[in-house]
Amino acid sequence: MTLNLGPGHAVIRRGLVLTVLGLVGVAALMVLALAYTPVEARQGLAQKIFYVHVPSATVLLWIAMPLTGLLSMLYLWLRDLRFDRLAAATAEVGTVFCLAVLATGPIWARPIWGTWWTWDGRLTLTLFLFFLLLGYHTLRASLRDPVERGRFSAVISIMGVVLVPFIHLSVYLWRGLHPQPIILKPSAPSLPPEMLRTLLVGFGVFILLFAGMVTLRYGIQLVRDAREAADAA
Amino acid sequence: MQPDNGSYMIAGYIVVGTIYLVYALSLILRARDVRKG
Repeated sequence: MTLNLGPGHAVIRRGLVLTVLGLVGVAALMVLALAYTPVEARQGLAQKIFYVHVPSATVLLWIAMPLTGLLSMLYLWLRDLRFDRLAAATAEVGTVFCLAVLATGPIWARPIWGTWWTWDGRLTLTLFLFFLLLGYHTLRASLRDPVERGRFSAVISIMGVVLVPFIHLSVYLWRGLHPQPIILKPSAPSLPPEMLRTLLVGFGVFILLFAGMVTLRYGIQLVRDAREAADAA
Repeated sequence: MQPDNGSYMIAGYIVVGTIYLVYALSLILRARDVRKG
């Protein structure tokens, strides 16, 4: 018996290329931030964590979570397993981005705020989002029926998307240590041109990395599902 | 005078690089396993 795993393999290949390009891009971004971007006068070198922290957070909140929610809603509406597969991929990669945000934040906060962690609205809600995403993966792993798994996990991911506007607005709603947005705000970005250039490169690099990882993760699931279907037949 | 906190920057870059690299490697290994079957 021959297995038709062609599309999955092609998706994996594409994902591999994009992921490797994304990782090379992250390394290049670090060089750009270190060697070709001025040091912020008050915060010193620790401020350069900004160039990996902010793009990771932006991709998480404005790409990964909305995409997961949209795909989950499409799954609930159309009951097409491809949407569920893709939602699981964006949620998994989003969890990694969330971990990167939660890990780099305290390392930046320690020298600037004098503390690793504070129960500030934005930090607390981001931690809550991370736990919600862990719950999403735990639920998926515990359910065998793909239809049931898709339906229940879609509801959890939509709850995660509801958190996004609260995380964004938390710096306006509650008094805390986390600074207000410098790019995603009604007025012009409040950043010198060289720093803005590096930050924009960071957005591009992390979007590429996200796209690569999601494609690779989706391809893996495609091949797995094709094998399971072939085994069941 | 700028504060001397370069070690935090290095730690931040190492941590973020490790997180993305480890996850990418886990995906690559999973991809290799499913392709082998």
